[in-house]
Amino acid sequence: MDAQAAKLLGAGIAMGVGALGPGLGLGMMIGKALESIARQPEVAGDIRTNMFIGIGVTEAVALYAFVVALILIFVA
Amino acid sequence: MNRKAKWGIFGLIALGALVLLAVLPGGAKQEFSVAEEFTLKPIINLPSLAGIDLSVNKAVVYLWVTTAVLVALAIVVSRTIKKHPGRFQYTIEVLYELARDGIVGGVMKSGKATWFPYIGAVFFFVLASNLIGLLPLPLGEHWQPAYYAATANLYVTLTLALFTFVFTHYAGIRKNGFRYFVNWAPPSAPPVLKQLIWVIHLVSEIFRLVSLSVRLFANMLAGHAILGVFFAMALIFQNYLAALMLQGGSVLIYLFEIFVAFIQAFIFAILSAVYIGGALDQEH
Repeated sequence: MDAQAAKLLGAGIAMGVGALGPGLGLGMMIGKALESIARQPEVAGDIRTNMFIGIGVTEAVALYAFVVALILIFVA
Repeated sequence: MNRKAKWGIFGLIALGALVLLAVLPGGAKQEFSVAEEFTLKPIINLPSLAGIDLSVNKAVVYLWVTTAVLVALAIVVSRTIKKHPGRFQYTIEVLYELARDGIVGGVMKSGKATWFPYIGAVFFFVLASNLIGLLPLPLGEHWQPAYYAATANLYVTLTLALFTFVFTHYAGIRKNGFRYFVNWAPPSAPPVLKQLIWVIHLVSEIFRLVSLSVRLFANMLAGHAILGVFFAMALIFQNYLAALMLQGGSVLIYLFEIFVAFIQAFIFAILSAVYIGGALDQEH
């Protein structure tokens, strides 16, 4: 395996494994938010705002993996 | 002819059209590199000053366009303001209320009036920059329309995050004086643990800078890169059916990107408000 192949494999693995955790986390968080909205529809606005903040923070982890993958392909 | 047969004939024709699209030989082979779209080549060459390159490139033009749009919007809205708002004024009012009541009012306890101008400005700047990034401007290599966004550049987002970073500590020191740094660790903690918590807090302050800038940058870059990859795949497959499906997919992704542009501007502003509010009203 030459260096280029190793870089591309590493980028693919980084993106794939890096998307796993945030995917699970987002699913759990949105599920919980929907549960609590169904239980208390009157505070749906507050829950939605906080859910979006949580989505932004969680999603960023997957995007760090994306940046690492880009660095592996184009910079390293 | 009954209804079922009509639908059957229609389905056969559609299927035949798809098969025809699939077997037709595709267009000419073209080269398209996604990474090329994100390399910044100078449009106007200017001499460098003290090691800093002052050349005008795509990102600079997008920043100028964003600033011009925001200034024009502010002038138009303030000149044509009415008691009974039309559709345009209502949209701006909703966004303004979101920034004032949703972001600053919902997160900060004190200093709302002092810090709303900064957080509102950041919200509108990031929002306008993200949305203008979705419009292709004729800035490609041969002046063809090309995708770029000012916020898909790490230097721009890092500058915005640095503003928040500096203002957070400025606000904290102005309100709490030297106690601001002492308050980073809870006073009730045992001695050695207290210093450890203080160091951990210092590291987290620096990582806020990294996460705030890289989040916005990576979100915008990822959206533009996916659209670029779709266009590149349509050129690589050289097949009309694949191109049709990929263009349909890229329309859906484009709609999602409009949503992402709003969400990222909202998150950037609300996290700035959380950080500044946390420095003003320290919990410990």
